[in-house]
Amino acid sequence: MLEARGLTRRFGGVVAVDDVSVGVAAGELAGVIGPNGAGKSTLFHLIAGHLRPHGGRVSFAGRDITREPPDRRARLGIAIAFQAVRLFRGMTVLENVMVGAHAWTHHGFWEAFLRLPRHRREEGEILARAERALERAGLGEAADRLAESLPLGQQRTVQIARALCADPRLLLLDEPASGLRAGERERLADLLRGLKEEGLSMLLVEHDVAFVTRLASRITVLDHGRVIAEGPAEQIRDDPAVIAAYLGRSRERADGA
Amino acid sequence: MNRLRRRPLAFWAGLAAAVLSLLVPIALNDSQLTVYVFIGLSVIVVAGLSLLMGFAGQVSLGQAAFYAIGAYTAAILTRALEVPPLLSLAAATAFTAVVAVAVGLPLLRLRGHYLAFATLAFQLIVLSVIGEARGLTGGDTGMPGIPTLSIGPLAIQGQYRTFIYAYVTWVLVAAVLLFNRNLVRSRPGRGLRALATSEAGALAAGVPVVRYKLQVFALSAAYAGLAGGVYAFFVSYIAPGSFPVLLSVQFLIMAAVGGLGSIWGSAVGATVVYLLVQLLQSLGTGPGLPPQLPAILSYAVYGLVLVLIMLFLPQGLLPAIQGRISARRAVSAVESPARLARLD
Repeated sequence: MLEARGLTRRFGGVVAVDDVSVGVAAGELAGVIGPNGAGKSTLFHLIAGHLRPHGGRVSFAGRDITREPPDRRARLGIAIAFQAVRLFRGMTVLENVMVGAHAWTHHGFWEAFLRLPRHRREEGEILARAERALERAGLGEAADRLAESLPLGQQRTVQIARALCADPRLLLLDEPASGLRAGERERLADLLRGLKEEGLSMLLVEHDVAFVTRLASRITVLDHGRVIAEGPAEQIRDDPAVIAAYLGRSRERADGA
Repeated sequence: MNRLRRRPLAFWAGLAAAVLSLLVPIALNDSQLTVYVFIGLSVIVVAGLSLLMGFAGQVSLGQAAFYAIGAYTAAILTRALEVPPLLSLAAATAFTAVVAVAVGLPLLRLRGHYLAFATLAFQLIVLSVIGEARGLTGGDTGMPGIPTLSIGPLAIQGQYRTFIYAYVTWVLVAAVLLFNRNLVRSRPGRGLRALATSEAGALAAGVPVVRYKLQVFALSAAYAGLAGGVYAFFVSYIAPGSFPVLLSVQFLIMAAVGGLGSIWGSAVGATVVYLLVQLLQSLGTGPGLPPQLPAILSYAVYGLVLVLIMLFLPQGLLPAIQGRISARRAVSAVESPARLARLD
């Protein structure tokens, strides 16, 4: 479904992402993990289209999307939940989620102005789908509250509901568990597991190894912008290179003390 | 869906305001009617500005430039090319939108203060172009003798001229406000409000950010162009001096006073500020007062009103009143855009 090949991105002299390839098969939940500064977020933004790669290609459903802007990618069926929660202020939770429907709706200024038939039809569909997405994410109660008034965990979930309202074929998640409390983390894991069972393809970029290994079938490990390991979750957990990348530095520090 | 059904207080308040403003002209004399028309034209411009600033989060300090472009286009078309006035008005509206697209393509890449200054610069350019193109615009002396609005042989003139203009303006104001209401509660409306907070977030949700910004900029310009066109037909004489930078500032203050992001607030803000300025003008022009007093009063008051509003009613007059009422009715106090979406 998603195929990123040889992605490279430099910032000045620093190579943040160096020749990285990841893929998501249809119906798969693939994971990308790595310690802080491994280049996860850069990789995510390259795939999401918010950054242009200096090398490599991204294709989606057999189509090269390397140069497509994010709104076009959304229309193709790629939905995104950011790490830095990007909710829209002054809008209710329901309205925030409804924005996600831009991906599959069409009516514009004139049709809205004149309340033309397509506007009426689409607005009905948008509301229905948004309410469904909210229920699915367990936020039905919060529909009429202002999005920015919710606690962080629920704001993350609103983002996921917004992504679901887009009726995506692929969902990209950037560190969805960071900053969440244990209970919120459990609910998020349940939600993602449920979506996977419904057949949604997902790419989960996450710092927390335990969180990803529980959910993802296949994991790519980044360190210093490069892929250092790749394979099924069980194998990754025991990979010495991965353990070294995550624990190595603290061990060095412990030795030095 | 049930929560969308109940007709809220705001609906009846709006209906009352509509009926009242429809009846008011009957009681007014000619000079009061002139004020009524000017207020209505301001409402049209401010409605566009409120959409641009309050919903889409883009600043414009050059709205009077679009007002001027609309006025001059309508005037030149009818006077020099003898195009029928109604057609000229439509053309003026459309042309102003086209100019906004051409200007917006580069300018809308800017944000915040930079965009404000760029639009201000645009207005200065427009004013000097109008001043220099004497063959077309009459230069600094202006264009007299602009025909009045007419449909075929029916022209707005004679004893009831101002009275009829008052109703023409009322209809346009109503149309513009309804348009805005329709737009805000729709897919593109939500997209605009979304991009005001986070362009990256809006893009990722599939909102065509660049196109929407350009469209709402063109729309706000079209409103200003429409109002400018009516202004030209109504006063029959225009000059660069009719469209000073201070007018752009005045539109901005009207939008802020009424409440950015409040559709009906444009009408409240424009009315309150216009009447306030009129009042100060008449206070400042009394016998024995220095001739600079009106100008000083209006400048000082613009500043003062803006400061006071920002300090005490940052969401603007109408949302503040709405907030009071709904707080008293023990409804959860949410901000106006949030509540607007649930009015129907």
